[in-house]
Amino acid sequence: MLSTIAIESLKRRKTTAILTLLSITISISLLLCVDIIRTQVKTSFTRTVSGVDLIVGAPSGQLNLLLSSVFNIGTPTKGIEYKSIAALQSNKQVSWLIPLSLGDTHRGFRVVGTTNSFFDHFKYGDMQSLEMAAGSTFTQPLSTVIGADIAKSLGYKVGDKIIISHGLGSVSFNNHDDHPFTISGIVKKTGTPVDKAVYVTLQGLEEAHTGPKHSPTSMLGRKSADKANEHEHEHDEHTKEHAVYNSEAFTPESVSVVMLGLKHRVTALQLQYQINQSKKEPLMAILPGMALAELWQIMGNVESLLLGLSGLIVICALIGLATMLLATMRERYQEIAVLRTIGAGPFTLLLLIQIEAMLLTIVSAALSLGLVAGLMSALKPWLSSTYGLFLSSPLFGQSSVIIILLILGCTYLVSLFPAVAAYRRGLHAGLNANS
Amino acid sequence: MNTINKNNSTHSQRNAVSEEHNAVSEGRNTAIEVSNLQFSYTKESPPIIDIKAWQVSQGEHVFLSGPSGSGKSTLLNLLCGTLTPTQGDIALLAQPFSALSNRQRDKFRARNIGVVFQQFNLIPYLSVAQNINAAVYFASTNVSKTASDAKLRHLLDKLQLPSHVLHAKADALSIGQQQRVAIARALINDPQLLIVDEPTSALDTDARDSFMSLLKDVAGESTMIFVSHDKAMESYFDRHCSMSELSPSTNHIKTRGDEATKAQERA
Repeated sequence: MLSTIAIESLKRRKTTAILTLLSITISISLLLCVDIIRTQVKTSFTRTVSGVDLIVGAPSGQLNLLLSSVFNIGTPTKGIEYKSIAALQSNKQVSWLIPLSLGDTHRGFRVVGTTNSFFDHFKYGDMQSLEMAAGSTFTQPLSTVIGADIAKSLGYKVGDKIIISHGLGSVSFNNHDDHPFTISGIVKKTGTPVDKAVYVTLQGLEEAHTGPKHSPTSMLGRKSADKANEHEHEHDEHTKEHAVYNSEAFTPESVSVVMLGLKHRVTALQLQYQINQSKKEPLMAILPGMALAELWQIMGNVESLLLGLSGLIVICALIGLATMLLATMRERYQEIAVLRTIGAGPFTLLLLIQIEAMLLTIVSAALSLGLVAGLMSALKPWLSSTYGLFLSSPLFGQSSVIIILLILGCTYLVSLFPAVAAYRRGLHAGLNANS
Repeated sequence: MNTINKNNSTHSQRNAVSEEHNAVSEGRNTAIEVSNLQFSYTKESPPIIDIKAWQVSQGEHVFLSGPSGSGKSTLLNLLCGTLTPTQGDIALLAQPFSALSNRQRDKFRARNIGVVFQQFNLIPYLSVAQNINAAVYFASTNVSKTASDAKLRHLLDKLQLPSHVLHAKADALSIGQQQRVAIARALINDPQLLIVDEPTSALDTDARDSFMSLLKDVAGESTMIFVSHDKAMESYFDRHCSMSELSPSTNHIKTRGDEATKAQERA
């Protein structure tokens, strides 16, 4: 009955109730949005790379190296010479090595030069390996494997030819038109920056920049017999010649970054120290986990600030709710008197006002959850294409539940003001005092 | 019960009003017993009510009159328990009403006292059914919903209200309908005590007579205190009490009630 009275009372004051509902809904939605983005960014960050023990590049700074190698953001560092890569490969602690050559784009998407070892060893999320949605890994020097988002947004399929552009701008005037790459495979969606990258062979990339160079020495230590200098684009012949293309057999002059997997993870710190102290070529090795933590710390401060501001907005909206209830108290004196004389105690009146406040907040919270879910669903493609933020399920986590509970707690507290006013009025309310 | 015993022991001190009443109510149990009752809104102000002794028997219909500001509504509020006496005792239906805790008084009121207000005071945004059922809810009786609904329909029939008004909002009803719904709400819990506060002040003579017939009919065996400043209504009741007789010491200044009203508003 109390909830019926509360609902009917709110319906009676529907204009002010709806306005209050709107302001609370907007403020809760804002808070939930900030929290979701914060949580999703963190999840997105932590699932971007796993299983990589060290990332090695030219000395430039931990974050720059991380951003350019893992997130495909920012300017890639100066290259690492082949002899350093070979030294790393021959290190007894190293299990596998992924070379990455950065700096080109295809229609705004980053192009990454690598070898098939990338598809063999790179892991994301909870140690998940990359899988092919269609086609296979590199089958010839001018093969390319593209991410799921690129295939979807540009409508590419296996066998299509694409041209890569020099430089990182979304519009480039320096296209490698004479070196079209053939799509050999499309990576299954990962929810990481892999979905938005074009992977080409190191050999193809280098040929596109400098002309042909047929694998003189394998990075894995194998020698190549073929040292032809002519650059002829007879890709079909390439395919025929290499029924099983060995992308690791090509020796690049340099690469931008190298990802390392170690035989024993415990040696990562030791190897990092060795690499950083190397006197042959100045190199920098970073632990991806630590770099991610540092990056998150920087982002986390900003997001904590945003969360704090959103929290204050919710408090303001709830104070507005209390003000609305207080403002209507005078017109409710008669109602309070009636309720008192038919048996409602002062505490019941206090409860009634609190139920009204709670009802408004619960409806607002429900509306906010729906609104935010809809908004995030609508903005999902835009968030992933513009900010590289991949929303993963569930959208609302433990922190959303905590936020809603905290808001309900705050509602209880702020509604005490009008509720106590009703209680006090109830103590003195009686029949019309006109005797 | 102690209060009643104490009051019995002080029987000899009762004034002429109660002696007259004893003759009328011979053979009946006491519904209301007031002794040495004083009430003032603030500690500094003189009492608004000062009644040495007053009794109303069960089933008795009492007409309580007095000019505006004489303390009628204050007395009713004391009888309802929405005001607490400054001094003295009120016993209702053999219960030491004024000695009960606030919560006990609220519960007692919900179960045993029906109130019809001057302005009928239905909650405007609730339907007729919700207005009446609110009284059932606050009484927290063990009556089943079926029995309560049956009682409601019976009352509506008796009060000549069509059943479709049950779903109408209270503020969509005519004055006459509001009046009858207010009576239905007051009687839904079968109260033993019915308090009616000047419900006819806005009615013409014909409407007033019709209302009174209806009220007397539905009130049945309930004890009724009916308040009005219109002495012409005295004929409908078993007994007439005036505030000037009940509380002579507080009714010699006509404006005191106005002061009381102001004091109550301040409180």
